[in-house]
Amino acid sequence: MPVSRYARPTRWVLRLWFWALLVFLYVPIVFMIAFSFDESATPGLPIQGPTLHWYDVMLHNRQLLRAVGNTVTVAAIVAILATIIGTMAAFVLVRGGLRRPNATRIAFTLPIMIPGVLIGVSLLIFFARATDLPLSLGTVIAGQLVVTVPFVVLIVASRLQGFDRSLEWAAADLGASPRQAVRHIILPLIAPAILAGALISVTLSIDEFVITWFTVGSQPTLPTYIYTKVKFGVTPEVNAVATVMLVATLLIFGIASFVLGRWRRLPGRRRAKAA
Amino acid sequence: MSTEIAGGTALVPPAALDTEGGGRRLRRFAPFLPAAFILIGLFFVPLAIMFVFSLWDTNENLDVVPRWSLDNYINFFSNTTYVRSLGKTMIMGAAVTVACLVTAFAVAYFLARYVSRRWARLALLFIIVPFWTSYLLRVYSWQAILGEKGALNQLLMGLGLISEPSRLFVYNDMGTFIVLVYVYVPFAALVLYASLERFDFTQLTAAQDLGASPARAFRHVLLPQIRPGLITACIFVFIPILGEFLTPSMVGGASGLLIANLVANFFKNALIPEGAAVGFLIAAFVLVLLIIFRKYLRVEDVYTRG
Repeated sequence: MPVSRYARPTRWVLRLWFWALLVFLYVPIVFMIAFSFDESATPGLPIQGPTLHWYDVMLHNRQLLRAVGNTVTVAAIVAILATIIGTMAAFVLVRGGLRRPNATRIAFTLPIMIPGVLIGVSLLIFFARATDLPLSLGTVIAGQLVVTVPFVVLIVASRLQGFDRSLEWAAADLGASPRQAVRHIILPLIAPAILAGALISVTLSIDEFVITWFTVGSQPTLPTYIYTKVKFGVTPEVNAVATVMLVATLLIFGIASFVLGRWRRLPGRRRAKAA
Repeated sequence: MSTEIAGGTALVPPAALDTEGGGRRLRRFAPFLPAAFILIGLFFVPLAIMFVFSLWDTNENLDVVPRWSLDNYINFFSNTTYVRSLGKTMIMGAAVTVACLVTAFAVAYFLARYVSRRWARLALLFIIVPFWTSYLLRVYSWQAILGEKGALNQLLMGLGLISEPSRLFVYNDMGTFIVLVYVYVPFAALVLYASLERFDFTQLTAAQDLGASPARAFRHVLLPQIRPGLITACIFVFIPILGEFLTPSMVGGASGLLIANLVANFFKNALIPEGAAVGFLIAAFVLVLLIIFRKYLRVEDVYTRG
């Protein structure tokens, strides 16, 4: 076997490169957490402390807490609406209620691929000049649905596409009504995709800045509040907020992969995929 | 289970599921309506309105009035500052894409070839986790690292490499470049790993057994097979950069602004038709790219993996 004498060094360089990338990816996150415990009001090295002062400041910042409240409300409504609307549409897309399913699928990838700033400004024009709707959390929700619904549609549709329809037909042969087939056969099998869509919607919504920035009224969400704060001065409590958000996101992420991992091992799904 | 039993005979859906009737098509279409409303009413219609506004004009009160002309586009292309910022965005996009692809390819190659699948998946999970944390806050954190009093400068000064804080890294194009690579490299790694995972590396050995140099084997055996992954990674990195306005506004400084900052600034100053024209130019360019590369747009694969 002609193994080049460069093979071993190459491998070591690649290994080093991999670790360098991980360091690069985690350095800002580590700093963010470290600065949240820093005593000095202008975050920098060396880190003095540790102190929980900024967490205390954070918990007493009324505006910030209100922004968190707005974010949670918006995320909950967006996730519920996007999941329901997207799942229903995915069924029609895959089960042939449409004349041009492929064109429709591409149409649903557009809002995800088009830069958010364009969705934001076009919605701003639309709400302000064409509909006379005042900007509010309602317009924020509408704006975020534009990107989250397509995600749910595409994710659920791709799971439905690999779905073994004979399972459903077998249920019907055994006397299940269409409604029962949906409830007891289809939904449990595509549940991981629906859950994945819901979680992506929640995460996108919590973090969404660009579209929200253009559609938000007088009630800020957390990202728009933080942006105006950091734009006009140093606010170390932002690091504390960031750390809390990071832990929250990782928790959602961890629970999701755990649940999805368990689901993947269910026998029904494997059979559906093998078909 | 029924597939094996059925063997060669065709499976016929039971009649119970085939609800025939007059409004059948409409009834099957009904669950699609809310999503269609969002896609059309909140996406296509606003974009169309933006296009119409880009062909209109503002009066002295900054109200949009329907005077049709191409002036907004002509003004854009005859203003060197605007055209330069468009050119700069393209160059920045290309540079970031290349940097992401090179970095991500090396890592994905390492993981796919030299690491067991189990550990590779774990490594990939660690690469993708930062992507799911707040984008705004990661950019903000870079400010504290790259800034004049930031950690990087303090480190370099501590090591004695520089004697006074350098402004080389932040509030300029370099800052934007670093942060954009940071933001998009996990995407590229994910996509490239997915295509390298399917590649059979013994083919490279076979090519070399037959006399090909490693470089030749790489180019003629490996590259053609992962081309779809490379193209997907390119569009998933390049297109979002055309709309980046947060990163340049936070670490790019006055000189580092990109085309999307121009759109945002026009709208902030209520110059809606001007902003709409620039916005539509970006949208049209993105649409052309998406139509050319539509085969590679498996968005759901990119997002649900890892």
